[in-house]
Amino acid sequence: MPDGYFGSYLTLAIYSLAMIGLVGGTLGLNRLVSPKVPGKEKMTTYESGVDPIGSGQSQTTIRYYMFALLFVIFDVEAVFLFPWAVVFEEIGVFAFVEMMIFVAILALGLLYAWRKKVLDWI
Amino acid sequence: MDVNFEALLPELLLTLVACGVMTIDLFLPKEKRGLAFPLAFIGVLATLAAVLNLYGQNLTTLDGMFVVDRFAVIFKIIFCVAALLVFAVSQAYLNDDKDVPHGEYYTMMLFSLLGMLTIASSRDLIAIFVALEMISLPAFILAGIRKYDIRSNEAALKFFLFGVLSTALMLFGMSLFYGLTGATNLADISAGLAGRTDIDEVALLAILFLIVGFGFKVSAFPFQWWVPDTYEGAPIPVAAFLSVASKTAGFVGLFQVMFLGLGELADMWRPMFAVIGIVTMTFGNLVAIQQKQIVRLLAYSSIAQAGYMLVPLGVASATDGALNTQIIFSVVAYLLVYAFMETGAFAAATAFGRKTGKYLIEDYAGLFGRSPALAVAMAAFLFSLAGIPPFAGWWAKFVIFKTLIEGDGLVLAVIMALNTVIAMFFYLAVVKKMFVDKSEDTAAIAMPRSLAGAIGIAAIVITVGGFLPNLFGQLAENANFF
Repeated sequence: MPDGYFGSYLTLAIYSLAMIGLVGGTLGLNRLVSPKVPGKEKMTTYESGVDPIGSGQSQTTIRYYMFALLFVIFDVEAVFLFPWAVVFEEIGVFAFVEMMIFVAILALGLLYAWRKKVLDWI
Repeated sequence: MDVNFEALLPELLLTLVACGVMTIDLFLPKEKRGLAFPLAFIGVLATLAAVLNLYGQNLTTLDGMFVVDRFAVIFKIIFCVAALLVFAVSQAYLNDDKDVPHGEYYTMMLFSLLGMLTIASSRDLIAIFVALEMISLPAFILAGIRKYDIRSNEAALKFFLFGVLSTALMLFGMSLFYGLTGATNLADISAGLAGRTDIDEVALLAILFLIVGFGFKVSAFPFQWWVPDTYEGAPIPVAAFLSVASKTAGFVGLFQVMFLGLGELADMWRPMFAVIGIVTMTFGNLVAIQQKQIVRLLAYSSIAQAGYMLVPLGVASATDGALNTQIIFSVVAYLLVYAFMETGAFAAATAFGRKTGKYLIEDYAGLFGRSPALAVAMAAFLFSLAGIPPFAGWWAKFVIFKTLIEGDGLVLAVIMALNTVIAMFFYLAVVKKMFVDKSEDTAAIAMPRSLAGAIGIAAIVITVGGFLPNLFGQLAENANFF
């Protein structure tokens, strides 16, 4: 194995080639040896679901975007709450107060959304 | 972890004020929305009092991330005063423009101000980065707060895209320094870099990346392209806020990182700042000559002013502490004066524009006949920006010249002198329009008390400061970490 900083990339290159070979090989082999019986049912988007109606690109209401933004509030909250919960016993009351402040500030965002009537679905 | 709440008091107070203004505004009936202004104003006054209370103390908390010393306190004072002036100007502007929501406007200003207070105390790359983001993110919203105006949208988008890109590069630069030294605290980085000779290429790259980030904030060439469009499209008080407070914050970050963290590498970054400073001021001044619109003129002039404040870093030294002290002194002095003259000029432009709806320089013709006080105040700000005595601007420029010559930067001083001469041309062209030319319209420019007060205070400060520069000098001398 070659040494040095760039030498370690050789492992990555070999690994990548092997992976591409493996995936390409199995998929190609599958294509070669599998029997093909085409049918109308098999050409639909989902073989085992409801038949699609209309075009694939339809407009959605802007409210979904608002909900996506609101989701970020809770998502960020969760990202910090989990590690905090794991070490809760060691860091004690101080961290508890700190986390409550953090949650309260994030809750302000929700309050804002509520007062601006983002939560009402018209 | 030990937290010194005394040191954090101004920031904690301001956080409460910002959250409070936002919450109260949400529950106010529509006709009482104007209440956001007095609340925010009093809140910042209280914060200023808390900051003044910390003057002269030396406190360190949060594991050395957050430091309260004179440097920090003096900049916090500048930020609070600049914010108060901008608030006073904003109030007149917002009352005319029905599209701008008061509560959101002041909340965003307060949160941005919070970031500025934080950066003045940050002595850690992570803290500096978070503070810079805290300044920028509300500023993006403020630039686009007139959401039905397409130019305001353009202003916000340009500002945002430039901001995000430069921040990403700066973060990369910071990560490289972390990789080199294994520390994010500036003092530890400085210790880690001492005596290292094997890191030239990486350090050079990392410094360049850092300069991109700070260059965007202080609007240095070639990262200044957003400035004219953003200033023009944003509400004028927001432009004043960006060009004074936000720019000062960029300089604060720059000082801390360059002198406290990367002082060892001064030989490497010194030439960069010399070149950037010269190109910035020359570009700003040359392009300003062609401007026909007052806000764009002020935008380019603020780019040129950033150039004046960057060149002193072009004579910094890795070993000569006295010289570095002198450099910081001169730029802080300039920033102090700049805060008043630039806010004043923007305030005067607001006063004129809100009454007439006109922002072209030729519309200023005959202003002296229409509103002598406003014309005289505007002329004082422009004289000061040009560096003509007796207004404080001359002293600020003088201090920078002195630093450049003491630091053997004679070439830099000569180029800066040439630039001040070029700059006279466009500043004086506006003054000539106001005093010599005549206009058909002779209606006086009325303005509300808050706006007149802001213009008056700024004008008085730069006039008094011009005669008694030691008032600024003493403050600036104290704002030093060496």
